[in-house]
Amino acid sequence: MMDEKLDVPADNTSFFRRALEEWRQYVIYAGFIAIFIFFSLTLSSKGFLDPNNLLNIVRQTAMIAVMAVAMTFVLSAGEIDLAIGAVAGLVSVTTAMALAKFGLVGGICCGVLTGIAVGVVNGLLTTRVGIPSFLVTLAMMGIARGTAMWISNTAAIPILDRNYYFSFGSGNFGPVPVLLVWALVVGTIGHVALRKTSFGRRVLASGGSETAARFTGINTRNIKLQVLIISSVAAAVAGMLYAGRLRSGRFQLGEGDELSVIAAAVLGGTSLFGGFGSVIGSIVGALMIGLINNGLILMGLEFSQQLIARGVIIILAVTVARSRR
Amino acid sequence: MNQSEQSPVDVVAMTGIAKSFGGVTALEQVDFFLHKGEIHALLGGNGAGKSTILKILSGVHRPDQGEVRINGKTLQEHTPEAARRLGIAMIFQEMSLIPSLSVAQNIFLTREPKGSFGMLDDRAALKKARVLLERIGVKLDPRRRVENLSAGQRQLTEIAKALSQEASILIMDEPTSTLSVAEIDHLFEFLDRLKRSHASIIYVSHRMEEIRRISDRVTVIRNGRNVMTSAIAETSLDAIVEQIVGRRIGAFERKARQRKAGQEILRVSSLSAKPRPVQADLTVHGGEIVGIAGLMGSGRSSLARSIFGMQPIVSGELRVKEKSVKISSPAAALKAGIAMIPEDRLTQGLVLQHSVASNLTLPLVSRLSRYGFMQESAERDLVREYTKQLRIKAASPEKSVRTLSGGNQQKVVLAKWLAVKPVVLVLDEPTAGVDIGSKTEIVEIIREFADRGNGVIIISSEPAELLALSDRILIMANGRIVREISSEEIEGWAPGATDSAHRISSMEKGLQVAIQQEQR
Repeated sequence: MMDEKLDVPADNTSFFRRALEEWRQYVIYAGFIAIFIFFSLTLSSKGFLDPNNLLNIVRQTAMIAVMAVAMTFVLSAGEIDLAIGAVAGLVSVTTAMALAKFGLVGGICCGVLTGIAVGVVNGLLTTRVGIPSFLVTLAMMGIARGTAMWISNTAAIPILDRNYYFSFGSGNFGPVPVLLVWALVVGTIGHVALRKTSFGRRVLASGGSETAARFTGINTRNIKLQVLIISSVAAAVAGMLYAGRLRSGRFQLGEGDELSVIAAAVLGGTSLFGGFGSVIGSIVGALMIGLINNGLILMGLEFSQQLIARGVIIILAVTVARSRR
Repeated sequence: MNQSEQSPVDVVAMTGIAKSFGGVTALEQVDFFLHKGEIHALLGGNGAGKSTILKILSGVHRPDQGEVRINGKTLQEHTPEAARRLGIAMIFQEMSLIPSLSVAQNIFLTREPKGSFGMLDDRAALKKARVLLERIGVKLDPRRRVENLSAGQRQLTEIAKALSQEASILIMDEPTSTLSVAEIDHLFEFLDRLKRSHASIIYVSHRMEEIRRISDRVTVIRNGRNVMTSAIAETSLDAIVEQIVGRRIGAFERKARQRKAGQEILRVSSLSAKPRPVQADLTVHGGEIVGIAGLMGSGRSSLARSIFGMQPIVSGELRVKEKSVKISSPAAALKAGIAMIPEDRLTQGLVLQHSVASNLTLPLVSRLSRYGFMQESAERDLVREYTKQLRIKAASPEKSVRTLSGGNQQKVVLAKWLAVKPVVLVLDEPTAGVDIGSKTEIVEIIREFADRGNGVIIISSEPAELLALSDRILIMANGRIVREISSEEIEGWAPGATDSAHRISSMEKGLQVAIQQEQR
């Protein structure tokens, strides 16, 4: 009689019931659509639905989305990375400087290597020395930002390489901005890696219960090291995109992005405490933040009011998404 | 008993206590009396109802029937606060102290002496703590931080904290399991002094030798009933064990297994780790199930963790199928063919929020993936195969393991490791907290695994489980393997017994006595 129960197919319950049970997982998508419709109705006269405006939202959120994909892995593994915004700024500077000296390949390599270096340091301090990633990356935030200011003398470093700024941020393929391509590529890789690979499984297990994962033979320290490196490399890519979009490297780029990125991931259903993550959710979360920013600007709110409204909306959304437990 | 001629006063009188949880009877008609100034040992096997009594006395549970009187007053509200006000203090095994605070700060936590303007007066707290520690004869600097104290000192701090709240009745649950021999002596001297100052103590322990040494009277609980209350001087170890074991009909039955003399699968030579085990030697042959018995803290689980690479090995050698292997991590152990079912399935065995399927396949994610990509159909087949084979009852393999019953959760842990196809399986308390039906099934699964020519090491604090499964039993004490009991010896404990319940309880008694004999 036990087998009977087993033979019940998983999909026996109606789609409607399952949707109702798990509606909260999809609340981010519903919220995204609701806000989009709301802005479409109220702001259409101010050009919200103008294709240029919509593409602008994409351009503004691409970097956040790229970093949010990596942050999904970091949070799922039970860690956090606060240094990403500062790393993006630092990489924009190192890339711009290397581009001027060594050309295109040298510039790109230099940017990526900067990201790897920061990630390795973050990861080793967290997993080998045992300092919580919160503290390590908080400290690294200052170090990266300070280094960027120091080597650039706080000045913007112009980028003249046309190929670079076309492919990293400024270009368009017909109507499609290159930034959208970047976000889609990174998002696809991230989604597949988290859902379909053994690495993704290990990340989720390490964050879900580190003890159980260790008893299962997973080297949780290595997983966490890798995840922190991925996060820094994603921040490096975001920094290079910023640099390409503005055709210069500046230490201020990416300032405060860590909070938008974490908010995007949490909005998208990734747990701050590890064990759960959704890459698609994080990307939609990033788009939602971009959408809100754009809508609030079009509404003519002052910057101070925008900050308040954004904070309230994020808290509301996370509250609804969290009441799952 | 050092009571004078007048009859003793009952500081605790529990009469006609009954309690059931969701239809399962935990206690029926239990009477329990604690005299003033005595140390009263409370004994019983796992699930006998000991902890339910203690929880009712300390106000955690409300009895369905019966009355609890403490120091002459009836416990009206069944809350921990009410019980504490009447003088009950529970000394927790998992200490309730804050490691980052000092001894004095811990003792007066939430009742801190206040100075002017309601500011905390640490100096007054320090002075009061000194007086208190002096009075109860504990040599301890109250300024020291708890995290720097030894286990014994923490326990004394815990007791001091209880006494500072005017507690006159202490409940101690396995207080010596984390203490060294010297610390135990110290604790016992201390308890003796407390007793002479008219405090009363309920003492729960599995160590018979300790109980004989320290307690005045003993009560045995079995199947939710008080089956024995007696002065310790008027009873014997045999009589107590007899009462603890009783004649219960359990899930376990010792079956004769025809053992082929298999080749050696695992050899452990003078394995040591910190602090336990010490110089452990053991061998397991193909098709053999080796049981490890011992009291809490004897090093059973540490031995298992060392074999599986969860605890660094200091010295010694492991050989799997006569090949020397270096076990530095669980990953290395798995590669050598050793898998382990850990003691605590909730934290060590499972990722609770994740689904049955992803828990089951977690150790196999590399084998189930090609170029890093999970082969979903292979994964589904594997999950289907093992849920069917082990009869795991889950609404769907995608359901979180949190929603499963304890028995089914444990089967998921078993399935996860059987799927790895190890040659040696180490099981630590494989049926703890599992319903009787699943216990029987799990025992059967373990037997089948061994019958396929694999080696099994099983650790359990439930003697019946060990006896049902093991071909040989090793007894551990103080981190060492001190005795080996052969199958013939086990059978010898139940000569001529025919019905299986009687047989297993006679054997259980034999094993209990053997374990106690090895304690020094």
